[in-house]
Amino acid sequence: MAKYTEEELLQLKPTYDVAVNFDVDAFKAMIAEVAEHHEIADLFHQKARRRSSHHHGVKPKIKAHKPRITTDDDGWCTSTRKTSVVAVGDDGEPSPAFVAQETLRVKPNNKNIASSRPADTRDIVADKPTMSFNAFAALESDDEDQF
Amino acid sequence: MSVEEVTQKAQALSVGDNEERKTVLTDSKDFDLKHPLNSKWTLWYTKPPVGDNESWSDLLRPVTSFTTVEEFWAIQNAIPKPRELPLKSDYHLFRNDIRPEWEDEANSRGGKWSFQFKVRNPPIDDLWLRALLAVIGESIDEDESEINGVVINVRRSGFKIGLWTKSVRQAPLSKVGAKFKAVLQLDDSDTLEFFAHSSANDKNAKPALVL
Repeated sequence: MAKYTEEELLQLKPTYDVAVNFDVDAFKAMIAEVAEHHEIADLFHQKARRRSSHHHGVKPKIKAHKPRITTDDDGWCTSTRKTSVVAVGDDGEPSPAFVAQETLRVKPNNKNIASSRPADTRDIVADKPTMSFNAFAALESDDEDQF
Repeated sequence: MSVEEVTQKAQALSVGDNEERKTVLTDSKDFDLKHPLNSKWTLWYTKPPVGDNESWSDLLRPVTSFTTVEEFWAIQNAIPKPRELPLKSDYHLFRNDIRPEWEDEANSRGGKWSFQFKVRNPPIDDLWLRALLAVIGESIDEDESEINGVVINVRRSGFKIGLWTKSVRQAPLSKVGAKFKAVLQLDDSDTLEFFAHSSANDKNAKPALVL
C-alpha cells in the first residue's frame, strides 16, 4: 500500500498548470452561472425583503390631553378637558369659534326612489279629498269654533 | 513508501527503455512518469439548485477521476477552490466508483466524522487541501482501509468537512478521527463528531463517537 505524506505530495506538485482530463472551462462556467443566479436572487431579496424589525419596542408618541381634575371645598371633583386651540379676541376673551356654513343643494335622485304613482287606479279615487269646503254648509253649521 | 521509492519502482517497471523517464521532480513541465495512488478517486460536485424542477440526482454529478498524484494536482489547480464556490455547493472525493450517498452499498453500513467551522474566516482552502492530501495519500487511514471519501459543504452557516467511512467500528475509527482532527488543525476545545449513516434521518440522534 503506497502511502504519501502531505509533504511528499506537496513535493510532487507541478509548478506549471497541467492539462486536465475533463472540460474544466464548462465546469467553471456552470459554477459562474450559479453564482450569478445567486447574486441576482440576493439582490431581489434585499429589495423585496420586509422592513427590519429593529424598531420593535418603540411606541409612537401620542400626546393625550389628560383632563384636569379640580376638587372644590366640598370635595366635589370637576373634570375639565383642555381645549386644543382657542381663538382669542382683542379683549383677551376667547372669541366664539367661527364655523363656516355652507348651503348645499341636494338634488334627490328620483331614480332610486319608488314610484309615487299609485299601483291601483281605484286608489286615485280614494285619495281624492272627499270633503271640500262648502260655504253655505258652514253658515248653516251649529259649530262655532270650526273656523 | 516514500516518493523516492515509488519513483524508483515506477522507473524500474520501464524495462528495455534506455532513455531515462522524466518525473515531475526532474521536469516539472514535461514529465511522463507519474506517481500512482492506491485507488482511483472520483471528484463529484453538487450543483446548488437554481430552479424548482431540479432533483438531487440532477444536481450531483461526477466531475472527473484520477489515479496518480500528478493528475490530482492538475485537477486541484484547475478547479475553483471551496471559497470560490457558491452557497449550497459540495465537493465530494470518493474512492473508486462509490457514489457520495448513504444508499451506496459501500456507505450504507458506515458513517462520517464531521466538523463545521463556525469561526468567521477559517483558512478553508488550505484545510480542504490538507484533508484531500491526507485521504489520497492514505496517511489518515488505517491498514484496513476505512475511508470511503471526504466531503466539503459550503453553507451560509459555515463550511463543513466530513470524512466518510465504510464501517462504524469504534477502535479503528477513533484512530482515524484523531488523525482527522489533527489534519483539520482543530483545538482540544473543538468537538469532532461521528454519526452512523443509519441515524442520519434521526434529528435527535446523538453522535456515536466524540473527539
